[in-house]
Amino acid sequence: MEMEKEATKSKSAKWWVIGILTVLLIFLVVLFFTGGEKIKRFAEQNLPQPEGQVSEEAESKTVTLFLLSASDDLLHKEKRQIISGPSVEDEAGRVLSELIRGSEENMISPLPQRTQVRQVYVTKEGIAYADFSRALVEDFAYGSSAELSAVYAIVNSLAYNFKAIKKVVILVEGGEKDTLGGHVDLSRPLSPNYRLVAE
Amino acid sequence: MKLKNKNIIRSGGRLVLTAAVFLFLVSFVSFGAGKSSPVEAGRVYGGQQMRTVVIDPGHGGIETGAKGKSGTMEKDVTLAVALKLKARIESSMSYEVVLTRDRDIDVPIEMRAAIANNNKADVFVSIHANGSKRETASGSETFFMSLNATDEETRRLAYLENRGSEIKDSMATSSEDELEMILWDMAQTAFIKQSSRLAEMIQAELNGLLGTRNRGIKQAPFKVLCGVAAPAVLVEVAFISNPEEEKKLTSDRFQEGIASAIYNGLSRFLRLYE
Repeated sequence: MEMEKEATKSKSAKWWVIGILTVLLIFLVVLFFTGGEKIKRFAEQNLPQPEGQVSEEAESKTVTLFLLSASDDLLHKEKRQIISGPSVEDEAGRVLSELIRGSEENMISPLPQRTQVRQVYVTKEGIAYADFSRALVEDFAYGSSAELSAVYAIVNSLAYNFKAIKKVVILVEGGEKDTLGGHVDLSRPLSPNYRLVAE
Repeated sequence: MKLKNKNIIRSGGRLVLTAAVFLFLVSFVSFGAGKSSPVEAGRVYGGQQMRTVVIDPGHGGIETGAKGKSGTMEKDVTLAVALKLKARIESSMSYEVVLTRDRDIDVPIEMRAAIANNNKADVFVSIHANGSKRETASGSETFFMSLNATDEETRRLAYLENRGSEIKDSMATSSEDELEMILWDMAQTAFIKQSSRLAEMIQAELNGLLGTRNRGIKQAPFKVLCGVAAPAVLVEVAFISNPEEEKKLTSDRFQEGIASAIYNGLSRFLRLYE
C-alpha cells in the first residue's frame, strides 16, 4: 500500500513536470511569436553547455576563409588552422577573427583591421548572428564593391565551414544595422553567395 | 480508480493544451495574412504611359559613401550627376523628375524608396560611384535587385502552393514578419524582369558612350532597391577608390557623360512603354 502510494506520488510528480514544461513551452511559443526573440535567445544562451567536449579544445581544425584577391574583384579561398571546439559558436568566432587578421598569402581582408568579433550565436534554424565592434562600420567608407566583399566574406566564411550555419545576420555592437555603408541590406538573414568567389 | 480518473483528466488537459497551441498558431497565421495588404504587385505597363522618374543620388550628409585618395566623396559625385540627369530629362522628355535629395543632406534608405512610392515612380534609378579595397579596381556596372534567388524562390513557390489546409503547416515555422517578406518578394518579382532590362540598356550606354570598363549587370540585395514598387536599378559608375577614375569622376565633362549615358539607356527603356 505504502509502495503504491509512493509510486503514485512519483508518477504525479512526473505529470507535474510535464505540465510545467508544457506551460513553459507555450510561454516560449508566445514569446517567439510576439517578438520575444531576444529573450528567447538570452534564455537559450544561458542554458548550461554540455560537458565533456572540453578535452578536444587543444585540437586544431582546418577552415576556409574568403578573402579579396589583389588581382580581381572576387573572393578567393584560403585555408587556415584554428583551434577546434567546444561549440560551433566558438569556432565561428575564431574564423571571423582570422578573417579580420587577414591573409597569409598576399590577399586583402575585406574587413577593417581594428574590427573585433564580439559574439557569434547560432540558432537551431541555422541562422548565425555575428556581432562585431563598431569599427566594422566606422573604420571604412564602403563603396558597393567593398561592401559586397565585406558582407559576403563574413557570410560565406561562416556558411562554408559550418553545416549548422545556413544564413547569417551581421550585428554591430549587439544591434541590427541597415547596411555597413549604405548598400547591402542587412535586415534579413543573408545566404552565402558563391558567385562572388573565384573558381 | 482515482488514479485512472486523474490520468483521464490529465490526458484531457494535454489535449486541451495541444489544441490551444494549435489554435494559437492558426490565429497568428490568419492575423498575419489579414494584416499585411499585398503591395500593388502587378502594375501593368503594356500600353500605359510612364510619367514619373525618380532619381536617387546615393548617400548624403554624414553618410559620405566611398572616399577617394584625394578626398573626393561619393555623395558629392552622385548629387552632381543626378542634377545633370534631371536637367537632361526635363529638357527633352515629358517626364516628371523627382530627386530623393537635391542637396547634401541625410536621407534614410527606407525614405528613398518611400519617396519613389509616394510619387508613384514609374522607374527608379539610384546613382553611385564605386569603391573597393583594391586600388586598381575600375569600371562601371549596373545592379538590380536580387531576392537571394534559390531559397526565396522556393519559399515563394511554397507559399503559392500551400493553400487552405496545408498553409498552417508551412506557416508554423515562420513568423508574421516572414509572411510580409514573402508578399514583398512577390511584389518585387513583378518588376525584376523590367529592372534587368533597364539595367542592360543603361549598362550598354555606359560601355559605349562613357567608355568605362564593362563590369556587366549584376544582382545584389541592395537596401535602396528593396522597397521600390517599380522597375529599379542602381548604377555604379567608375571607382572613386581608383586614383585615375577618381580624377575623372570630379570632372564636369565626365559627369555630363555619365548623365548622358544613363539618359540614353533610360529613354530607350521608356520608349518601350510609350
